Parts: sequence; structure tokens; C-alpha cells
Amino acid sequence: MTVAANVNQCLSTIKGIEAQLSLFALNFQDEKARVVLHESMMLMEEIKKDLQTRITELELEEPQYKKT
Amino acid sequence: MELADPIDIIFRSFLFILILFLITKIVGKKQISQITFFEYVSGITVGSIAAEVITGLESNISYGIMSILIFGLTAVLVDFTALKSKKFRDIVEGRGTVFIEDGKIQEDNLKKERYSTDELGSLLRRQNVFRVADVEFAVLEPTGDLSVLLKKENRPLTPKDLQLTVADEKVPQTIIMDGKVLNDPLAKSGKNRAWLNIELQKLGVTIDNVFLGQVDSFGELTVDLYDDKIQVPSPQERPQVMALLKKCQADLELFSLGTDSEGAKKMYKRNSQKLTEAIEKLSPYLNG
Repeated sequence: MTVAANVNQCLSTIKGIEAQLSLFALNFQDEKARVVLHESMMLMEEIKKDLQTRITELELEEPQYKKT
Repeated sequence: MELADPIDIIFRSFLFILILFLITKIVGKKQISQITFFEYVSGITVGSIAAEVITGLESNISYGIMSILIFGLTAVLVDFTALKSKKFRDIVEGRGTVFIEDGKIQEDNLKKERYSTDELGSLLRRQNVFRVADVEFAVLEPTGDLSVLLKKENRPLTPKDLQLTVADEKVPQTIIMDGKVLNDPLAKSGKNRAWLNIELQKLGVTIDNVFLGQVDSFGELTVDLYDDKIQVPSPQERPQVMALLKKCQADLELFSLGTDSEGAKKMYKRNSQKLTEAIEKLSPYLNG
């Protein structure tokens, strides 16, 4: 596996976590828990953005491995 | 015995069942727990008057009703006055007597309430205290129970002592009983039938087979089935997300070690830090 593929995998895991967190935010009854969940979702959003930029960089560096 | 007597007794019995029912409704739950001596006595008296009038055919029904009403209404009146005035409350309901203060037994108070050392020991043992030295403070309530405050080091450990944050948990709602959906609690927990059907499908059970189903404040459904041979999976989503978070955090650490680019190293480090922060904040809600 190339580095880009690894980072890509991590990115999709983060996306999955974000989706689960938003589901929890709907289900949890406790207001405080919801606030924490939303804060964490925002963190995930930031991480997602950084990883996305990194993946673009990596794909430029190793274009031979770019997914078609 | 006259023919009319049994009929009269039946009539009186039903009449007084009705009256006693009404009186207890008016006086309320307090009478049942017999909070004060006054309520205890008035409860017994009302019962005896009713019994007397029902079986003693020579006694007048209206007198019986009248005295029951007087006792009932007085109890209510006393309750209300006690609510308003602290002084009155102290007189009627009595005050607690301190038996142990600062870890020392108050012998004078013990004598005043006519409690022997053995009785004090027995009251303490009923509260699972076998060593008087463990007790910081103990007070004899007007009801005759002993309330005990243990010394700090002997109290059970709480999350607060360990400085742990734990999730606030609300009362679980029972939404399925005997295979039937209860609509009110379902609405109260903010769910609907469509959600319930999906959750049941996830667990792989039909609603007819569910004896009891509860939803907790995390919105997770737990069920007990009629068929005890079937194993129901316990909800795994929260620990799963926690595991994923940890995995991602470890991945980012690895990436930051693996890359040669200075900027990328920093970026990975920063994001791994963010994930650590998220893990810390979420752990009370996602664990267990």
C-alpha cells in the first residue's frame, strides 16, 4: 500500500466516525453530551480538511499510484 | 338476630370502605408511611372507628362518619399548618435527636430518648455499620430510623473522588411490555415506531418475542425476550467508535513519523493532538 492509500483509508475512517457522532447527537438525551459530540464533530471536520489537502499533495508527488 | 342485620352489615361495610378510601385519598401517602406519631395514631383511630360502626349495629352510622371525617380533616389541617410554620412542625412532627456528633456518642441524648447502648448498636448495624468509630454523625429521625453519616474515608468511592467525568444518565424508558409497544414512553424518549422497527430488525427479533424493552438516555434499545435461549447482542456502536478514534490517532502518529516533509509532520502531529482531545472529551459518553 502506498502512503496515499494509507492516508486515504484514515480519512474515510474519520468520515465514518463523524457520521456516527452525528447519529449519536440525534439519539442522546443529555444536552451536555450533545454539545460535546458537536464539538468533536467540528474537530473531525478540521482533521478531514487537513488530510484531504495532504492527499492531494501526495497524489501530485507520486502520480503513478493515483487511482484511476 | 333479625333478618335485616346481615343486610345492614353489608350496607355498612360497603359504605365505610368507600369512606375510608376517600379519606385515605384526601390524607394522602403520608399517612401510609406514618411519618409522625400523630398520623400514626389518627390512622389507627380511624380504622377502629370504622370497625366499631360496621359490626356494632346499635351504633349510629352518622356519628361514625362524623368522627372519621374529623380525624381525617384534622390530619390534613395539621399537615398544612406544619407546612407553613416551622415551630408547629417541630412540635407535631418532632425533631431528630443527635446520637453521634463528631464521632462521639452523645450519652445525654441517648438517655433522653431512652435508648440503650445495645439498641444504638442494633440501629447502627441495620445501616451496615459495625464499628462506632467509623461514624461521623448519626441522628435518630422522628420516625425512629437512624440516619448515619460515615467518616469520609469510610464512605463508598464515587467518580467525584476519582475526579472522573461521567455521563449524566436519565431514567430509561420502558417502551415494550409483554410484546406490546407503549406509546407514551416511546414518545417521551423522542423515538417513533419506525425507529423501533429498525432497532428490532438490527437485533434480529420480532416484537411478539419481546417481553420487556427499554431505551436508555444514549438512545440504545435493550430487550429481554420470552425465549431465553436466544442471545441478544448488546449495543456495540459506542465502544466501536471509541476504538476507531484510537486507531485513527495511532495512524496519524505513524504518518507523522513516516514522512520526511516538515510541514506534513507538523500537520499530522497537530491532528493527532486533536484526536486525543476528542477521545478525552468523548470517553465518558462512549465507554460502557
